[in-house]
Amino acid sequence: MNSSMIEFRAVSKWYGSFQVLKRCSTRVDKGQVVVVCGPSGSGKSTLIKCVNGLEPFQEGEIIVNAESVGAKGTNLSRLRSKIGMVFQHFELFPHMSVTENLNLAQVKVLGRSREEATTKSMALLKRVGLEAHAKKYPGELSGGQQQRVAIARGLAMDPIAMLFDEPTSALDPEMINEVLDVMVELAQEGMTMMVVTHEMGFARKVAHRVVFMDNGEIVEDAATEEFFGSPRSDRAQLFLSKILQH
Amino acid sequence: MRYNWDWSIYFQRASDGSGTWLHYLFVGLAWTLATALAAWVIALVVGSIVGTLRTTPSKWIVRLGNAYVEIFRNIPLLVQMFLWFFVLPELLPKGLGDAVKQIPPPWGSYLPAVLSLGIYTSVRVAEQVRAGIQSLPRGQRMAGTALGLTLPQNYRFVLLPMAFRIILPPLTSEFLNIIKNSSVALTIGLLELTGRARAMQEFSFKVFEAFAAATVIYLVTNMIVVVLMRALERRVRVPGFIGTTAKAPQAGH
Ligand SMILES: Nc1ncnc2c1ncn2[C@@H]1O[C@H](COP(=O)(O)OP(=O)(O)OP(=O)(O)O)[C@@H](O)[C@H]1O
Ligand SMILES: [Mg+2]
Repeated sequence: MNSSMIEFRAVSKWYGSFQVLKRCSTRVDKGQVVVVCGPSGSGKSTLIKCVNGLEPFQEGEIIVNAESVGAKGTNLSRLRSKIGMVFQHFELFPHMSVTENLNLAQVKVLGRSREEATTKSMALLKRVGLEAHAKKYPGELSGGQQQRVAIARGLAMDPIAMLFDEPTSALDPEMINEVLDVMVELAQEGMTMMVVTHEMGFARKVAHRVVFMDNGEIVEDAATEEFFGSPRSDRAQLFLSKILQH
Repeated sequence: MRYNWDWSIYFQRASDGSGTWLHYLFVGLAWTLATALAAWVIALVVGSIVGTLRTTPSKWIVRLGNAYVEIFRNIPLLVQMFLWFFVLPELLPKGLGDAVKQIPPPWGSYLPAVLSLGIYTSVRVAEQVRAGIQSLPRGQRMAGTALGLTLPQNYRFVLLPMAFRIILPPLTSEFLNIIKNSSVALTIGLLELTGRARAMQEFSFKVFEAFAAATVIYLVTNMIVVVLMRALERRVRVPGFIGTTAKAPQAGH
């Protein structure tokens, strides 16, 4: 029924002799939201960075929109331009205004004209509630505002999927919701999303599935209700009890 | 010690008959600047390329860049100038080497001076550029890559513009160094400012006046450079940018 957008097939990765990913298999279907969680150092960031080839892997296969990421003939630059990515520390380009941040790849990668790009950027800034800040520089914005700009920058490329790596964990508590709200809206519009986060409220609300990682392994991969209702593994239970305490 | 200062010496006729001693020294300043500026262009271009290459993902290219830096960093400037001036023409094929030796007076010294000074300084610029790029948060490069920018685009639009802003102050000192180091060219016969101060002292026996003037001219020139560079720093300042820590700058409104 659902066709897959991102599929991991027994992906393994080593840093020297240290194995970070151990035969990881999972999938994100079109229009679905998958939340990845797990303790620090379990390999969540590494897993998500393999999707657009930011991290190479040695074994297995990742298929994104019917293209194999690691394969020789794959045009990685073109594939990346179709996958939006949002980082923990925003990674906006500090020497460019907010609009220029959104325009850069539209113009340089997609070949849009500057006017076309600006029109698109302004519409997206409006959508994340920041059109008044279009001319400011990242350093003049709060963390929450910067992260919303970063999301808009990803969306400006008309992505087929969005990747988020702990998008709210560098934010002051009072700014977390403004970012989560944008992500919830995105999920409800049917964007395909893979989200590394410890925001379990967000997971409950919009995730179709939750993937739990520990020590480079995907320990649990279940539908959201099932994951929160009756996690099968002890490790996931322990993790949940710890994280839901606060 | 008593010394009879004779300030009028500056307005007396120089030994080469071209004008006053003051004029003679200012022609020296012109040669100093012409040497320093041309060398600076080489240093900036070559240094930026080498420094950038040393931060690429290709191990092989990084090694090549490192080798360049190690070679030219560990030979004193004076020796490098002698190598370009005396040794290079001997190593070239006979016809070419002779042609090099035939280059008429100021240019025969000027060209090796510019080359040696430019390459010597390029190593220092390369070090700064490399350090500047590496001081950027790792996520910056990733963000550019994730957007689909190619490696050259990522350097051109994302990494280098910030790296250069960060290293502007140390680049200013390198530029001051290149002006001062250009005085080494007097050893291969270039009559730049220091060379002319020495010549003035030899012909007029006014050692203090000659070097007092040279000192003041160097000082004023470098002060002008500093003022100009500070203006440039202000011009390219990034609004709200504080540092390069990976931590999110919390401007907060
Ligand atoms: N470049 C690297 N070289 C060697 N080991 C690395 C490298 N990057 C990450 N690791 C190791 O790989 C493991 C997984 O790292 P990763 O960043 O994917 O974890 P994570 O689940 O995202 O953790 P966190 O919640 O802290 O972000 C960690 O043990 C980490 O120390
Ligand atoms: Mg991580």
